[in-house]
Amino acid sequence: MGVITISRGSYSMGKAVAEKVAEQLGYDVVSRDLLLSASERFHVPEIRLVRAIHDAPGILARLRHNKQSYLAFIQAALTERVCQDNVVYHGLAGHLLLWQIPGVLKVRITADLETRVVNEMQREGISAQEAREIIMEDDHQRRKWTQSLHGFDPWDSNLYDLVIRIDRLTVDDAADFICRAAQRDGFRTSEKLLQTMKDLALASRIKAELVENFPALGVKSEYGNVIIYTKDKGHAGTALHKRLEAIRKTADDIYNLEVHSVKSIPREAV
Amino acid sequence: MSIIIVSSEVMASEKQTAQAVAEAVGYELLGPEILDDIAAHNDLAADKLAASLSCSPSPWRREANKRWLRYLASIEAGVLDRLKADNIVCWGLAAHMFVRGVSHALKVRLLVDEQQEAKQIAEAQGISVKKALKSLENEKRNCAQWSAAAFGRNESDPAMYDLVINLSQIDLDEAVRTISSAVGYRKFQPMTYSMKTLAEGALAARVKARLLASMSDVQVEASDGRVKVTSKAMKRERQKKAAAIKAMAGEVEGVEFVEVHLINYVIRAAAESFR
Repeated sequence: MGVITISRGSYSMGKAVAEKVAEQLGYDVVSRDLLLSASERFHVPEIRLVRAIHDAPGILARLRHNKQSYLAFIQAALTERVCQDNVVYHGLAGHLLLWQIPGVLKVRITADLETRVVNEMQREGISAQEAREIIMEDDHQRRKWTQSLHGFDPWDSNLYDLVIRIDRLTVDDAADFICRAAQRDGFRTSEKLLQTMKDLALASRIKAELVENFPALGVKSEYGNVIIYTKDKGHAGTALHKRLEAIRKTADDIYNLEVHSVKSIPREAV
Repeated sequence: MSIIIVSSEVMASEKQTAQAVAEAVGYELLGPEILDDIAAHNDLAADKLAASLSCSPSPWRREANKRWLRYLASIEAGVLDRLKADNIVCWGLAAHMFVRGVSHALKVRLLVDEQQEAKQIAEAQGISVKKALKSLENEKRNCAQWSAAAFGRNESDPAMYDLVINLSQIDLDEAVRTISSAVGYRKFQPMTYSMKTLAEGALAARVKARLLASMSDVQVEASDGRVKVTSKAMKRERQKKAAAIKAMAGEVEGVEFVEVHLINYVIRAAAESFR
């Protein structure tokens, strides 16, 4: 019983490892289908969500807060899915979107550049030079994306519980490592952990509802007690309060809802 | 049958994990205690040899750098020679930097929870947590500077390791079980080629350590008893230097043939022409 996120560089066999882990543990694999569900729920074309978690935002996009909105939609869909437990998520940003949950096993699969080039050449039938260029550009975008939106380097091992270099191991070996770690008490879903997941899902859902009109807000929930953090001393005016009132009426898992004015949004808020 | 190399930015975790893994798999433990032997064998000061694994001299101090590189080459030769015995868990000797191309060496990096580690250090040494944290940060910074100066690589780069385990959520027992389980994997079994790479690395390091005793700027490669030495020399001293290298390298056990490549020492030649 637990949640595993597998972060990977392109052509690092992360998908194969995720599928093997899910098969061994009897978990569900979540990846691209998550984007589909976010796309349907928030009425955003899937391609925009794909770009939001792949390409680093440009200056205009940052001003328009589009990426933050799309990320909030993806986070809402992911946290909702994670609440159902027994999930292996592979894809971009899983470890970042779920960092507030301590019991999530965060894994990174890496591979030597040349191994990845060979994989890409075989898959796409292209030359080594073309494959290398594609992979390096992809790595560059991923690094830029994580740094611009979260301020982290995705290659920093401290973000993960386990980093496995796949080119010297088989997919089965890597899956064994992960399954063994996942069965530890610290990574099994306890009641407390489930509550943390539910709170994150609730906060993410509210954030997704608000982000287009109020992109600078932070949302946090503890046992259904929701706090909206705003830097606006006037509590962002009546527009926000009206919107919150509407959300409150439709959500039965909100126990209490408050708006706090703060100098800086707490890091644990989504 | 393989080599396990455990490394970490925090020495205490490295030692504890290596000991536990060695016990679990029944391998021999190889740690900094061999430095005394290496020092005696190479006629070097034991304390300076040990210090060379944690501190790097300023790049401007030419003589100090030459001595430091000699110490490192001596350690590399000593460590690689001992790793040939196989079934070894190695820690505290920077062996992960020496085993390039040795496929049967499993390289593991441990990351520690800084806060937790600082609390333990503070308790053990009777100092404040803040002070302990600062000392940990210094230790990390030194590690990064050392690996960059010695090998031109960043020690914290995950690409250097087969497995990186974060001990803030995975406890030591689990980490030990995970590392131990990898020993049986096919890719970490010693093969003729990887054993040969290890032996050739050891020979090259032995020759380098011997040459650095009297000269600087030396690169050494070894293959099937043939040793290729690359160095710098001014035009007028080329013959003399090549002969000296051949004589010194030829004395090292296992060397059958010495090939010397001398590159023109342009900067020194230019400096001397202005005198």
